[in-house]
Amino acid sequence: MNSQPTVEPVSFSQQFGTSWNAFWFLPADGRPLAVIRILTAVLGLVLWSSYAADLQRWFGPDGVVSPEVMATWRRAYGVSLFDAATTAASLWAVYGLGFAAFASLLVGLGTPIAAPLAAVLWVSILHRGPMLIGPADDVLAILLWCLVIGRSGDHLSLDARLRRARGTTPPGPSVRNRLALSLLGVHASGITIAAVLAQLKGDIWWDGTAAWWLLSGREHTPASLMAAMAASDYLTNLLTHAITLFEIAFAAGVWVAGLRGSLVALGIVAWPLIGWLSGDLAWGCGMATLGLAWAPETVCRWSGSAGGKSLVAGPG
Amino acid sequence: MSAQSAGKSDPKSPQAGLPSETVRGFVSLFLALYLLGCALTVAGNSGSGASLLVSTVKSRLFSPWMVPLWLDLGFDYRLTYGQLDDADHVIVVEPWDATAEAQAIRFPAAGSSGIAANRWRTLAGWLEPEIVPEEVAGLLPTAMAESLFDQLGSEDLRVRCLRFAMPERSTFDAAAEPALEQATVARVRRVAGSVQLLPVEEQRDVAPVVSPASDQGGTP
Repeated sequence: MNSQPTVEPVSFSQQFGTSWNAFWFLPADGRPLAVIRILTAVLGLVLWSSYAADLQRWFGPDGVVSPEVMATWRRAYGVSLFDAATTAASLWAVYGLGFAAFASLLVGLGTPIAAPLAAVLWVSILHRGPMLIGPADDVLAILLWCLVIGRSGDHLSLDARLRRARGTTPPGPSVRNRLALSLLGVHASGITIAAVLAQLKGDIWWDGTAAWWLLSGREHTPASLMAAMAASDYLTNLLTHAITLFEIAFAAGVWVAGLRGSLVALGIVAWPLIGWLSGDLAWGCGMATLGLAWAPETVCRWSGSAGGKSLVAGPG
Repeated sequence: MSAQSAGKSDPKSPQAGLPSETVRGFVSLFLALYLLGCALTVAGNSGSGASLLVSTVKSRLFSPWMVPLWLDLGFDYRLTYGQLDDADHVIVVEPWDATAEAQAIRFPAAGSSGIAANRWRTLAGWLEPEIVPEEVAGLLPTAMAESLFDQLGSEDLRVRCLRFAMPERSTFDAAAEPALEQATVARVRRVAGSVQLLPVEEQRDVAPVVSPASDQGGTP
């Protein structure tokens, strides 16, 4: 990519400009984003379905989160499509539309419409009940908006199959994919930095007991792990420091090309584990999905034409 | 955005495949603004508060478009500080004069797990006096009661927020069920269609009253 015939002095601004262009604008293959689309849609369906059982009790005409409660609670500039759903039937209709949007996103049918629709409906339900949400919901919002930017339906999708059936040329690398992947990557690092800074304001993250307090006070606790931690200071300390060290390493290390692959692979295991320990597995899965944006070169690429599976390095 | 190449004629050029300079310029400007907005939302939504400068710039320039998109976020996921508000919370609503436990409704239901149950726990956590902002205190207990007057067949309800006890490592008993302790309680009643939130005097642990006569060793 950069075999220069002659060595010329390059100014800092030129170097920065080249790096900026490569990071944000170098066309990227759509397969990594397609993998992220599928994982995001699965997470979205899981989180969306968590509203089903209590939808009317929360947002229905006689629900807990009445329009008056919401108006007092909601932040300025917050808007929601669910505001228009004032009857039980209309509430189910909007909710059903969300299910359809996430299902379309999962299979990649009408992705250019499904992605923005899922994103708009998702932030709508968050604005409708802001007192019900957790960290996983925030992360899903980020994932969805980035999918709106990229061409996530170009691969591993029904859209791609339909395109092949019509004999249309498969789309090549796209700048939109690069923008989406880079934004996802920046958010993965930024969210981790913000989280680790917040954690390090607490003494328990320094004295090594945070892992215990993650589990203590929970309705459902893994009793055997708690018993092991109760019996061993070192185990508790080890778990606590491992979480902090991983987060610091991930936030900074993904910017170093040589460490990126290992950290993303570690993140696929570590993020869900941290999520599980903190009682929010969905958040951990969301963070692992965000982290995948840093691994476009290492994501499996399925060749559609031959029918076989091959591991091919993506564009760097 | 079109991926129109600025250096299409020379595929080996560093510019090959990149959009035109004008497009890159506009997108870069937007990216710079967005990243600045993200930095300000992280700084402005931290649990430690925010400076007047940060909150003013953020609320005037960025919140109007970042809030609707659910992007005005602090991401300060501390996971835990080992404080009472980090424990799981539940809400129990029952008639004020209830005598039987069966009349109480608990959210989430005892033993329930999963994301929906976690949403109830998050909602219940907002009843914790340490967490709830002053301007919305009392709003959720009233709303909970209003939605349950008919179901419970009573116009006078007790809304309790309970939290799971956080045992120290030294006192942990793996065989014991997690214990619940009361975080707050409210009384909500409906009188002639008007819903009232009544203050409830919390019972606190006090020293036993000892009469001077029986206290043989002390002086009154």
